[in-house]
Amino acid sequence: RMEASCLELALEGERLCKAGDCRAGVSFFEAAVQVGTEDLKTLSAIYSQLGNAYFYLHEYAKALEYHHHDLTLARTIGDLLGEAKASGNLGNTLKVLGNFEEAIVCCQRHLDISRELNDKVGEARALYNLGNVYHSKGKNVASAGTHDPGELPDDVKNALQKAANYYEENLTIVTELGDRAAQGRAFGNLGNTHYLLGNFRSAVLAHEQRLLIAKEFGDRSAERRAYSNLGNAHIFLGEFETASEYYKRTLQLARQLKDRAVEAQACYSLGNTYTLLQDYEKAIDYHLKHLVIAQELNDKIGEGRACWSLGNAYTALGNHDQAMHFAERHLEISREVGDKSGELTARLNVSDLQMVLGLSYSTNTSMMSESHMVDKTLNGTRPRVGRRHSMENMELMKLTPEKVQNWN
Amino acid sequence: SQLLPGRQAADLQSKVVPSKQILHSDNMEMEPETMETKSVTDYFSKLHMGSLVYSCTSKRKNK
Repeated sequence: RMEASCLELALEGERLCKAGDCRAGVSFFEAAVQVGTEDLKTLSAIYSQLGNAYFYLHEYAKALEYHHHDLTLARTIGDLLGEAKASGNLGNTLKVLGNFEEAIVCCQRHLDISRELNDKVGEARALYNLGNVYHSKGKNVASAGTHDPGELPDDVKNALQKAANYYEENLTIVTELGDRAAQGRAFGNLGNTHYLLGNFRSAVLAHEQRLLIAKEFGDRSAERRAYSNLGNAHIFLGEFETASEYYKRTLQLARQLKDRAVEAQACYSLGNTYTLLQDYEKAIDYHLKHLVIAQELNDKIGEGRACWSLGNAYTALGNHDQAMHFAERHLEISREVGDKSGELTARLNVSDLQMVLGLSYSTNTSMMSESHMVDKTLNGTRPRVGRRHSMENMELMKLTPEKVQNWN
Repeated sequence: SQLLPGRQAADLQSKVVPSKQILHSDNMEMEPETMETKSVTDYFSKLHMGSLVYSCTSKRKNK
């Protein structure tokens, strides 16, 4: 009677998780564990599904606990396939928790057993997981510093190169197996790995393949991801027009999918792209759209970023009043969120702008003409100067702060 | 010391648009993880499938 009841609870848990209600599924699985069973294979399946449910709920400590129980159990009963699966899941969870070395050991175990069992599907999946661990490891170390893609320390480069190799190996097998969905995933992550390595052409090729497969499946989320990644790669190829086209497709799909956070991200990317294209009006347009959504989502960091970008764009247009407004707002937000470097940047911007605003009210520009460059730009009371000139003024003042003090 | 105008313009260009700032913004979009799945019915289906498949195929062969 007890046996049936544990099984019934577990089956209901499975049904709920499959229906997408992991939270409810978890309660049924936990009830099943409470009731208990002597069938260790059933218990292993319950632990495994509990681990996965917690993983999807982003409760990784719990996920780790249950996948670990599952691994122990699988080893105890000598279930090799079960051990491989538990190792893979444990590896994925350890990766998310940032424990890359242990994650590698677990994913390697998944790979070794799959090869031993001549399980091609398992082998391919283990290779994909290993690629993901090395990718995360590389990205994690890289993000500790501030590098552009392509300029990386050796350990980062090694990890990313390994990731690329695992994705390639995975691709060979899933291509043989004719598994298009798996190919799509591998191409996406391979593209991102090439991007971090600075191989932007290879990144584009991989993401183009990813896009093709996403369209085949009518998978619009994957399609949107591909557009966004293609946009990023084209930025670093210096092909800003193309990047803007891809970001626009991203924005379109984000709106269709009603994902406000992704929509904000797309607007921000477009703002940056139009800044690079020196079309500051369009840049401002998109940064303002980003700002509105960031405020709506109560994303203070995004809001600060938007203000910083808007301050820059207005400065570039010579609209120093607006620039000042956003620089001050950026300063406010940086303080609020405790962003020290943002606060410093904002302070510098505000003081630069104070100087420009102060000077542009002044009609005495004789000392400026000494610098040969700016005499034509500050000849009115409030000139609307061209971008380059206004920025040159700012830079000159930065270079010679003691002189500026003497002027006043 | 005065910088050459060209050099200065280039410096300013990078000031307006520091590429690193843009890097911070460009979310790389990763593909989802794949988790291995087990089911409580696996065990039972394997237990019973053998005989089921056998009976189906043998029936078909008999026809």
